[in-house]
Amino acid sequence: MLEQIHQIKKEFETDISSIEDKTGLEEIRIKYLGRKGKVSNAFQLLSDVTKEQKPEFGQYLNQLKKFIEEKYDTICKKFEVEGELKSIIDLTLSGRKPFIGRKHPLVQMADEIKSVFMRLGFVIEDGPEIETDYYNFEALNIPDNHPARDMQDTLYITNDIVLRTHTSPVQIRVMEKSKPPIRIIAPGRVYRRDTPDASHSPLFHQVEGLVVDEHITFADLKGVIEAFAHQMFGRDIKVRFRPSFFPFTEPSAEYDFNCIFCRGKGCRVCKNTGWVEISGAGMVHPNVFKAVRYNSEKYTGYAFGMGIDRIAMLKFGINDIRTFFENDLRFINQF
Amino acid sequence: MKVSYNWLKDYVEFDETPEQLAIKLTEAGFEVEELYSAIKEFSNVVVGIVESVEKHPFADKLSICKVNNGKESYQVICGAPNVATGQTVPFAKVGAILPGNFKIKKAKIRGIESFGMICSKEELGLEKSSEGIWAIDEKIKAGTNFAEVLKNKKDYIFDLAITPNRPDCLSMIGVAREIAAITGKKLKHPKIDFKEETHSDVNDYITVNIIDKIGCPRYACRVIKNVKIGPSPEWMELKLESVGVRPINNIVDITNFVLMEYGHPLHAFDLSEISGAEINVRKSRKNERFTTLDDKERELPENTVMICDKKKTVAIGGIMGGQNSEVTNATVDILLEGAYFDPRHIAKSSRGLGLTTEASQRFERGADPNGVIMAIDRAAGLMAVLASGKVIKGICDEYPKKIEPQKVSFRPARVNHLLGSSLSYKKIIDTIKSIELDFVDNHVIAPTFRVDLKQEADIIEEVARLIGYSNLPTLKTTQINYSIEQSPLENYLNFIRRNVLELGINEAVTISMLKSTEALFFREGEPITILNPISDDMTTMRPSLIPGLLKAVSYNLNRNQSNIRFFEIGRIFKNYKANELPDQPYSLCVMMTGNRITPNWNSSEDQIDFYEIKGYLEAFLQKIFLDNFQLFLYDKSSYFDNRETILIRVKEREIGFCGKIGTDITKAFDINKSVYAFVLDLNILMDLINTSRSFKPISKFPYVEKDIALVLEKSILAGDVLEAIKKTAGNLLQSVEIFDIFEGGNIAGDRKSLAIRMRFQSEERTLNDAEVDVIFRNVITQTTKIFNATLRN
Repeated sequence: MLEQIHQIKKEFETDISSIEDKTGLEEIRIKYLGRKGKVSNAFQLLSDVTKEQKPEFGQYLNQLKKFIEEKYDTICKKFEVEGELKSIIDLTLSGRKPFIGRKHPLVQMADEIKSVFMRLGFVIEDGPEIETDYYNFEALNIPDNHPARDMQDTLYITNDIVLRTHTSPVQIRVMEKSKPPIRIIAPGRVYRRDTPDASHSPLFHQVEGLVVDEHITFADLKGVIEAFAHQMFGRDIKVRFRPSFFPFTEPSAEYDFNCIFCRGKGCRVCKNTGWVEISGAGMVHPNVFKAVRYNSEKYTGYAFGMGIDRIAMLKFGINDIRTFFENDLRFINQF
Repeated sequence: MKVSYNWLKDYVEFDETPEQLAIKLTEAGFEVEELYSAIKEFSNVVVGIVESVEKHPFADKLSICKVNNGKESYQVICGAPNVATGQTVPFAKVGAILPGNFKIKKAKIRGIESFGMICSKEELGLEKSSEGIWAIDEKIKAGTNFAEVLKNKKDYIFDLAITPNRPDCLSMIGVAREIAAITGKKLKHPKIDFKEETHSDVNDYITVNIIDKIGCPRYACRVIKNVKIGPSPEWMELKLESVGVRPINNIVDITNFVLMEYGHPLHAFDLSEISGAEINVRKSRKNERFTTLDDKERELPENTVMICDKKKTVAIGGIMGGQNSEVTNATVDILLEGAYFDPRHIAKSSRGLGLTTEASQRFERGADPNGVIMAIDRAAGLMAVLASGKVIKGICDEYPKKIEPQKVSFRPARVNHLLGSSLSYKKIIDTIKSIELDFVDNHVIAPTFRVDLKQEADIIEEVARLIGYSNLPTLKTTQINYSIEQSPLENYLNFIRRNVLELGINEAVTISMLKSTEALFFREGEPITILNPISDDMTTMRPSLIPGLLKAVSYNLNRNQSNIRFFEIGRIFKNYKANELPDQPYSLCVMMTGNRITPNWNSSEDQIDFYEIKGYLEAFLQKIFLDNFQLFLYDKSSYFDNRETILIRVKEREIGFCGKIGTDITKAFDINKSVYAFVLDLNILMDLINTSRSFKPISKFPYVEKDIALVLEKSILAGDVLEAIKKTAGNLLQSVEIFDIFEGGNIAGDRKSLAIRMRFQSEERTLNDAEVDVIFRNVITQTTKIFNATLRN
């Protein structure tokens, strides 16, 4: 009797391990658990044993039945799950995608620059793009005969109204309406009378910064530009200041960053110099303070600028500025 | 401005290599844009002796030469007509590399073998074009490496970006002065040494009369007689060529040499062409014309300074001389002009003439009024030596009001105050003295060649740049003692941008200048035009964002991208006002065309229609919590189609439009698909939105839904029916919406069926069927009555 039970269990284990589909499983169910199956048949054998042996064998038989049923259920569930996956979806077909909106890379770049300066305590200011000659030139100590005022370089609406050539007029507007301390940046569109080519666009974007207070020094300017370079491109990026000339700052500087591709080692992008020119900066010219009636004995300040398009071109490896304004979806979707 | 490394050494004995000097110049504010060797690289070229020359049997113009390199003879085919036996020549052996990476190989030329090449100056990169090979005058040992022969020609050229405030550095001496200061060496001025002819006086030859004393504060001249016109010596030609000046003849070259050396423009007249022995400096007359020495007749702008003799004009002062008095090969006597012209006058005239010259550039930025005599004397001295001229005694010098050096009030302590540095008093004073500034009685005396030093800040910059910006302190931790204010406009625009992006729309950035025809479609006022546009494509400031986005749509459609959703946020420009800035509000435009949903393997091809853009508008307004808007049919909006456009109004203010772009307009942009858009005035919207929210509890009680289908006239607006239901149903009505519209079937041709679903819910209790039924029956009675509707069964 005990041997028969073992025999059934062994046979079942062999059968169940070799089945491949639901049909095979059903055959096994009938063979073992069916009304005339091996398990029922084994229970029939109970009548042949002695009364004393009955409980013991009964227990064995129940264990066998439970074992077979559980094994069957597990396999059955496995088949159900597998069967469903197989029959309903093709995971390689694409889903129904909603349309995706992407920020223009220039706006992303501007946002990144703005957020760095906001962490450095700067407030964002805005001003008109069509400006008066006074705000764009005169108040910024750019004299009448300065080449920048030439019709060759600046777009005019009337003799006294221009498309702003930099966001520096915002400096003047801010200083006119408020007293120091001032700590602002002015991002926005600027215009030059440049025929479009790979590196020139009549429209581009600038961020201008201005800080005015008592005891503001050139060392503060260097510190802020360095902090910007480190936050934007990493702590290993070095900053270099070189003397230069702008009518609205004195001393004036141009500043370079280590090339962000080779980190200063020299490569094709930086023409093996290790440096890329970023923009200009300097200490606010006393004549600019005079124009806004600030006491240049009491207050000092610094100003700096940078081109958003230029930094975006560097950062994303774009070599034609016109690409930004074509708005090709295949371009925008890369950012 | 090009300067030569060798030439600079005439004025200051520095030890720096060209590379080291380039860094120092850049750090001192003279950016080296390029540094290159004046001689191009070549290898394996030696001195050779031509031993024999025979005619090539198969080519008339070729010769078979034997060239000896000191050890052995090589057979070389040469095409130059001037090759001759006995010549000393540059010989490029097989394996040589000439400038331009030109490799010399063994070759067969018309059947005869050739082992190398006899070179011309051109082939060695020494001149632009040569006629024939270079036969060297001197005898040099055959086999000498040719690089040795050119050793004295070895030079480096720095291309410097001189900022407009430093005209003094548009000269070798100006740059040398800076090098002296940054290297701690002394500046050496050239020796001016000549004997004047004492038997006559300059006043016997010329009288100067300045009428325009503002345009020309100083006019001086010398007379040099009996000059022998001819080529300049090689050293001078080399120097001029190295900085990009083409040698002409000794007299012209001398004026150019002094221009490069001192930065002061001079002009040499042929004295015999000056009539009446007089020079008059006057203002140009109206419509005056004059032929300059480049053989162009030019119309002179008013107030141009003219140099005239008794009868005629002979030069445009400070810009260009005249053809009628220029130095020619027949010239014997020279009138040498050295003058100082007012920068503003020169700038205006130069721009008016459209003519920029080496002279005008320097006068425009500011020459040194007190450097005139030194420059004239230097040139006169050179003319005596190099052209055997006799310098007549005296200088005719009209200088009615001497221009004195600037005295700039200067407090050395302010240097550290502005720079954040801690430089010593001595260091500051030594630094300013190193560039020939003097410090007396709290004032810096700036020589007249330094036109840029006017204020204390200018002096501080001198100290800063000579110390070196990299040697000045950098404040690592900038202390922020400022309250961090908000930037409301910035935050608002970011809020708007984020909400549009979340609707799955791409951002575009377009040029704000349009073609005039693109702006023509704008009918709400005069567009703002540019006086001096770059091209016809960019004449008008955009009065709307629509044309720019249509261009972007068109650009993408042309590149087979047919499902397009764009938005732009930017200023638009309208309402031209005389002498005042126009309105420049921020605007938002959302534009779309193509499929309603992204194309997929099981998607339908539904195209965007009016209800799609309206849905986006409503979704956007809902996102920014602007729910109190009203919509009106509108047929007068620029760019939009008359029949499919609505006006959006909030609290009686018009905030924008939504609908289909007019087909004539899309066609004009080369688009033949339907394009839908909405535009919103963001400045007005900013006043209207309120983003502060407070929580309203959500009802815990079940709702009851009731549907009706009303059959009514087609012309009745769905919104009116919903409004009527809201009014009738009272405040237990939680929502009401159209869930189907049906026409045709058993419904009369002029009627439609609106299927409407109402949801009733209380925030306080569970509603019972009876009370909802009362309301529902009332709704049916009222709506059928108001709209003459029947219930559909």
